[in-house]
Amino acid sequence: MKKYLFIFKSEVMSDMQYVFNTFVGFIGYFILLFILFNLYSYLYTDSSEIINGYTMNQMIWYVIVTEILWTVLSGKRLCRKISNDVKSGNIAYNMNKPYSYIGYALFGYLGEIFIKAITYVVLAAIMGFIFLGSFPNLSIMSILAVLLTGVLATVISIMFIITIGLLSFYIEDSGPIYWVYSKLILVLGTIFPIEYFPIGVQKVLSYSPIYVVSYGPAKLFVDFSFDTFKNIFIYQLIYLLIAYLLASFIYKKGVKKLNVNGG
Amino acid sequence: MGIIEVKKLSKTFKVKIKEKGLKGSIKSIIKPKYKTISAVNDVNFEIEKGEIIAFIGPNGAGKSTTIKMLTGILYPDAGSIKVLDIDPIKDRKKLAYQIGTVFGQKEQLWTHLTPYDNFKFFGAIYDIPESRVEKKIDELRELFELDEFINTPVRNLSLGQRIRCEIVASLIHEPKVLFLDEPTIGLDPVVKENIRSLIKRMNKEYKTTIFLTSHDVGDIEKLCKRVIIINNGMVVLDDTMDNLKYHYLNKKIVEVKTKEKVNLDDTDGITVLKDKGYNLKLEVDITKKSVTDAIKLLNPDNIIDINISNIPLEDIISSIYKEGI
Repeated sequence: MKKYLFIFKSEVMSDMQYVFNTFVGFIGYFILLFILFNLYSYLYTDSSEIINGYTMNQMIWYVIVTEILWTVLSGKRLCRKISNDVKSGNIAYNMNKPYSYIGYALFGYLGEIFIKAITYVVLAAIMGFIFLGSFPNLSIMSILAVLLTGVLATVISIMFIITIGLLSFYIEDSGPIYWVYSKLILVLGTIFPIEYFPIGVQKVLSYSPIYVVSYGPAKLFVDFSFDTFKNIFIYQLIYLLIAYLLASFIYKKGVKKLNVNGG
Repeated sequence: MGIIEVKKLSKTFKVKIKEKGLKGSIKSIIKPKYKTISAVNDVNFEIEKGEIIAFIGPNGAGKSTTIKMLTGILYPDAGSIKVLDIDPIKDRKKLAYQIGTVFGQKEQLWTHLTPYDNFKFFGAIYDIPESRVEKKIDELRELFELDEFINTPVRNLSLGQRIRCEIVASLIHEPKVLFLDEPTIGLDPVVKENIRSLIKRMNKEYKTTIFLTSHDVGDIEKLCKRVIIINNGMVVLDDTMDNLKYHYLNKKIVEVKTKEKVNLDDTDGITVLKDKGYNLKLEVDITKKSVTDAIKLLNPDNIIDINISNIPLEDIISSIYKEGI
């Protein structure tokens, strides 16, 4: 485990060269949130109105959290990186090192987004407070629970994206698969909570990855209950195991097909 | 028993083929066609501990494929490999702790970090205790003269400095075998010489077995005592450097400058390589004709200047690439 923490640390150190980019990137996040804030202000006639179980403040805090998870992840970049590693044969240069490629990619990417994640959480919290005038009512324990599920949601998302990227062993370009995956997460789990969809769709979504990578942490942040936390946490562990096994399976089968350019 | 043992090693690649034009593109989607390329074919060799061997061949000969199979990156189709008695396919990770790799065309270092941080990173991934890593870094920074730039981010280093750091990074875990794939590519002659002497020193100091591929004859000539030449996926020569030179030393190159023009045609044992009127370049096969015979043909009184030399190693290797042995 020590070596993976070192990979994480090295990536954080490396990323410190680009701290300024993180602040610039936040402008895009701010604009998006500003648009959604205005959209929900229009939908809700007054701030005490409840639509599908959410007040306006809860809806906006929900979107603030899901958008952090979405934007900080920048999944397209990771998917392209893994896919290019496979297609160019660069993945080979990681294979003769005594670590697992999946572990390397996971911890490396966690390191890459670490500073961005902290920056976005702090700035988004300030922004939310300025927009709404208050924070959701959370105890220290529930904040820790939200952070835990947020980290797990990120880890699971990264594992899924690695899996999609590794599909490049079998298909020419895994980009379109990621596109479909990311749009499903965006539409069904980021902009609106699950409760906004018809009952039938809600049931499907509550068993889908959307429940653990996007909805879960945001739901806990706006409406915390220990039962919901327990439920989300268990689902996250199951999905983490599934994502890891899937990525490992695809990787193990894939490397046997590896064709390294230039030899 | 050799430190590296390769027996009947073969590897083929399946490559997609596409007919030309749009029609060909559509066809390749509906009914893709593939051809099989034999990259390595029945390769056998054995390498002893502490040897520096040159594993060379023209582009596409199969050298990198072989290195990648030796390090467990690629899976062979047939044959067996043992590196330090470990099968790279079954125990890739176990082998990784025992070998080092430097790919001249591929950066392994983190470019935004300093060499020192990179060495610490490599120490951590090879599970080496912190105190031992520090000791090793101190030792290698002295051997490879890194003091000047050990705390400069890798992206700001010159290519020569970076290659030195790449080699040091691959030595942090004290590998028993080091695979160097074109380590001097793109370097200027002075830096090349410097890298070669460092490699030699390292081999002497740590008794590291070095498996070197290079297109640079200087690397091969100055570092290696044994050479394996591979072409079209097959070993075409496996011999000592001395033998390689000896077999080809029966040919001499005679370059002369004459007072008057000489008209000389190829004869048995003498080949005219270049004829520029007053300047001639001949190849003399001394098993058939002596150098004196060649001089007599030119008329010694007519000669202003003469230079007699052996065939350069580069030409020897090129002719092996072209004709086989």
